[in-house]
Amino acid sequence: MRRRDFGKLCAAAGLGLAVPVALPWDSRQVLGHTESPPYEGPYFVVVNASGGWDTTYLMDPKGVEGINRLYQAGEILTEGNHHLAPTAAHIQAGMSNEAFYQKYGSELLVLNGLDYSVNNHSPCSRYMATGKLDSLAYPTFAALVAACRGPSAPLAFLTFGQYSATGNLVPMSRVPYLPSLNRLANADAVHGVAQHPYHDAFVIDRIEQALQQQAADRASQPRLPRVERAQNMLYAAQFNSKALQRVTPHIPQSQSKERLSQQADIALAAFKGGVCVSANLSIGQFDSHANNDVDQMKLIPELLAGVDYLLTRAEQLAIRDKVVVVMQSEMGRTPTYNNGQGKDHWSIGSIMFLGPGIRGNRVVGATDEKQFLVPLNPLTLETAPETGIRPRPEHIHAALRSLAGIESHPFSQQFPLGVPDAERLSGLWG
Amino acid sequence: MNCRGRLVLGICWWVVLVSAGMRLSADDPTRNAGNPPPAAECLAVDRYFADEVWGKVGERTCLKCHRAGGDAADSALLLVDTLRDRGGLARNRSALAAMARELESGESRLLRKVRGELEHGGGAVLAADSTGYRILARFVGELGSNGSAPAARPADPLDESQPSFFAGVRMLSPQRLLRRATLSLAGRLPHEAERAAVAERGLEALDGILDQLLREDAFYVRLQEGFNDIFLTLGYDGNGEEVLSYEHFEKTRLWYQRHDLSHLPEKDQQRARWSLADVYREAILREPLELIEYIVRNDRPFTELVMADYILVSPYSARGYGVYEELREQFQDPDDPFEYIPTRLRALTNRSGKTQESATGMYPHAGLLSMFHYLRRYPTTETNRNRLRARMFYQHFLGIDVMALAPRVTDAAAVSARYENPTMQAPDCVVCHKTIDPVAGLFQDFNEGGHLGPRKDGWYGDMFGAGFESEKLEDGDRWRALQWLGQRTARDPRFAVAMVEHVYYILTGRKVLQPPDDIEEPRFAARRRAYQEQRRLIEEVAERFAAGGYNLKAVFKDLVRSEFYQADGLATLADDPDRQSELDDVGLVRLLAPEQLERKIAAVFGEKWGRLDDREGQLKILYGGIDSREITERATDPSGAMGAIQRILANDVACRNVALDFTRPPAERLLFPGIEPDVVPGESAEADARIRQAIVHLHQRVLGQEQGADHPEVERTFQLLAGIVSDAKSARGIEKLGSYFCERIEEQRLDDPHYMLRAWRGVVTYLLRQHDFLYE
Repeated sequence: MRRRDFGKLCAAAGLGLAVPVALPWDSRQVLGHTESPPYEGPYFVVVNASGGWDTTYLMDPKGVEGINRLYQAGEILTEGNHHLAPTAAHIQAGMSNEAFYQKYGSELLVLNGLDYSVNNHSPCSRYMATGKLDSLAYPTFAALVAACRGPSAPLAFLTFGQYSATGNLVPMSRVPYLPSLNRLANADAVHGVAQHPYHDAFVIDRIEQALQQQAADRASQPRLPRVERAQNMLYAAQFNSKALQRVTPHIPQSQSKERLSQQADIALAAFKGGVCVSANLSIGQFDSHANNDVDQMKLIPELLAGVDYLLTRAEQLAIRDKVVVVMQSEMGRTPTYNNGQGKDHWSIGSIMFLGPGIRGNRVVGATDEKQFLVPLNPLTLETAPETGIRPRPEHIHAALRSLAGIESHPFSQQFPLGVPDAERLSGLWG
Repeated sequence: MNCRGRLVLGICWWVVLVSAGMRLSADDPTRNAGNPPPAAECLAVDRYFADEVWGKVGERTCLKCHRAGGDAADSALLLVDTLRDRGGLARNRSALAAMARELESGESRLLRKVRGELEHGGGAVLAADSTGYRILARFVGELGSNGSAPAARPADPLDESQPSFFAGVRMLSPQRLLRRATLSLAGRLPHEAERAAVAERGLEALDGILDQLLREDAFYVRLQEGFNDIFLTLGYDGNGEEVLSYEHFEKTRLWYQRHDLSHLPEKDQQRARWSLADVYREAILREPLELIEYIVRNDRPFTELVMADYILVSPYSARGYGVYEELREQFQDPDDPFEYIPTRLRALTNRSGKTQESATGMYPHAGLLSMFHYLRRYPTTETNRNRLRARMFYQHFLGIDVMALAPRVTDAAAVSARYENPTMQAPDCVVCHKTIDPVAGLFQDFNEGGHLGPRKDGWYGDMFGAGFESEKLEDGDRWRALQWLGQRTARDPRFAVAMVEHVYYILTGRKVLQPPDDIEEPRFAARRRAYQEQRRLIEEVAERFAAGGYNLKAVFKDLVRSEFYQADGLATLADDPDRQSELDDVGLVRLLAPEQLERKIAAVFGEKWGRLDDREGQLKILYGGIDSREITERATDPSGAMGAIQRILANDVACRNVALDFTRPPAERLLFPGIEPDVVPGESAEADARIRQAIVHLHQRVLGQEQGADHPEVERTFQLLAGIVSDAKSARGIEKLGSYFCERIEEQRLDDPHYMLRAWRGVVTYLLRQHDFLYE
């Protein structure tokens, strides 16, 4: 096989498009039947509070104008530069704001006054996930970073829900149950028991050689673009799946009970095994049109406890310093209560970050006392009511692409965000 | 609202979507011969006009309103949708050129109009610094408008002999198309008689075969599965019987709890009751999909999807509604929980004895629209006010995703706060809510859980009143609001298009293309052509569907016969990036869903694998399947986890079937009818020839490949087999018995002195991992 053809095969394998990008593998790995090297980070976790969180009960406390019934302005707490709503006295389970900020405030970056621009779950979810409101074609950040940084990883982009479009750049992986990974790790053994292979080793070798030769031969044949893409992705999926064996040592003996922790266990085992770049974690039911305070006081602590579990477990696995966490929701909640003690959709909200490359103990942007957005100077990151911009998801995504080092990658350029240079939040990460 | 009003609001998306769906309007006078013939000079359409002026501006911007039936239909500028009228391009050039040449204050009227001047009804549609405006300005300049002499430009005439869209694309052979159709639609391989008919008469034979296929029970399994992927009714909240309200079915919906099981030993009764409940729940859960099956199976007009004045019930679900006794005689087998018959419910009476309003005394059935299952699957809340149901109505029955291109608002929060009732007062909100909310109002009799349960305080007064687009619901039709909606839906041209799009999705696993939206994108013209070619097919099929009485089978047949379904490969390399963009979505190339893969395994091996659709469903979800609740979209590309499952599947299915097949009499074998395990490669030319013939058969059966014994892929497989046998011969410690796990039949390990059983198993494993098996 010609080097050029093989390169094309490699580039396309695991990717959706045969475009000129850096090859994910050295050709010797495939020719010699060696595994692709483990992906070693950074790892990206996007935690979605699905349904719309009440930011005034977390990182953007108000306590005025009847916005919050559980506390008044004077009860707002501080942790370093952060202001936080007091929740310890109102929760039954999970992690209070107080405990979370005490533990992570020094690492935490908060952006308040994020303009979601619309008020509906579906477009807002898409917008927050991709940075593009008016297109169905854009990949989520998690998918994009997986495609750019580790396309040959067998579970490059893991998702547990919420908007998960891939832009045809990378396959989406769903692994809803932890034991599933054990089952898949030894695919060539009966019932996954390594001592009982289906075939003798030389048979498997022959099969792999034949498949590899077939894939190589096809690379030089005329094919429809869809056929070429599908055949390459199939070959890559089967070839790369062998690397799942690296995951099993990191699967916890017992399964967590909490929703987010279960997802975190799978993602972390995949990270540690070097088979995953990014994970889209999600817990739902934040859409508190009725009984807002009851629901939010149940769900926000659950969310924070899940993030705490993620980071604690990452510490145990010695990858904590490589995990970037984005905490977001697709919308906020109104500054007023409706007749059902609930809060409806609000197009202004917040987002939180922590991880390598992010300087913590900072709050950027703001909302006013009525929970309206205060414009932001993108250069100084100070509020600028008269001259500032309205930070929107595309600004966040442009910054995230920069943080991940993928903004000039051909895949990123294939999905431009259209943020003028003058509006880039270049100092966001500190 | 006129076009100006919409554009002043800054929101065109709704107009775009609606107008896009209105292409099937029955009367398009511009298509008829009554139009004046274009001036001769205007017939000379050049490439610049076709690709730039029309493709990037006229079609996307002007045609929205300046069309028959559009908001500007009575203006001086009337354009033609060239998607449906290929000859219309010249007339459009003529019309635009005429306006371009008219001067107002020394400047072309065309340019002034698009800037919103001269009382343009659509307001400003192009900014003066936009690409679209520059395209128009160049067009005007080259005409010699704006008071200037015509600008010189090298001629670039439109090449009327442009190759057809499918030029250079290789189509499936008739035999492979036959296999694709039988596997896809009926989950089986072609019968010998069908293969013979196609061998003799080619594609001509396919029509009759398709007619037969679409009558097979297996087709209806596929049909139900496909429509559940779209409507997701299997995923409604709670147990199956929860669609029946406590308020109206209090005494009957839990009939299984009181069902007489005294004929069973007492120790078995509880388990039997659980089983009864499970079956009952499944019976009632399936009703919406059974309605679809009933309509299609009986060649009824598919408009009954929204108009059927009946539901389908089985002996078990009928008990839940309390109508079993009166229907009992109509069932062929009253003990069959899944025998469905149509019936009409009487108007529902609640626990207080109050009967719902009904002029006929019957429940106002309106197909899926009024089924509790559908309503429960898309619930409402006090704040949502049926808007989700309205959204799904547009998406499911008119093919419009109102959330696909949400309008950006400068400050949505400020808008919300500025108006007392934004959805009726704020222009940014009104533009959408004036269409959505009237439909939401039509669902007002149904509560959060999908049950009949109007609000005690009446429907919300702070919403636009119930209706459909510009038509209000009259009080006299209030009791049958969803029937009223169903009738209007069925005669809306968008309905037929939406149904064709649904069938396209079922057949291909992906949605139809959307028009490209970025005119700056280098491949815009190529993407536009791809979209238009596909759109033309969809609309032509929809026209025939409607004209033929809405028989959905005709849509399946039409699409299967289309080049889009049959495209299989390229005759030559397509290196041109534009051509690659055009062909980007061509070719079925669908990763088989777990259910489809199981059916294919059953068809090829005589028995399904059973691990992709078992009750636990773990592998099903891992393999990209859906649960109809949380996971509602199928994976289209294989992840590494799916790659591992493919390896497990290949190993295990080969393990189960290869040795077993060899133990059968040759005439009964599916995989190896012409070879025995004592035929060893390399022993003689005859042995090798027999092995190659066996491989040809395997390739045909497993992969659907029609190849000769000298085909390179046959040779590759032969070399694999020979290589394995050779390796085994030289390896140490290889047993002369087959594997304990795979070559053990009736507790006896089979002799395998030459390693041939295991080698053939290796070959089948290899074949099962291939694209031609795992993809459609």
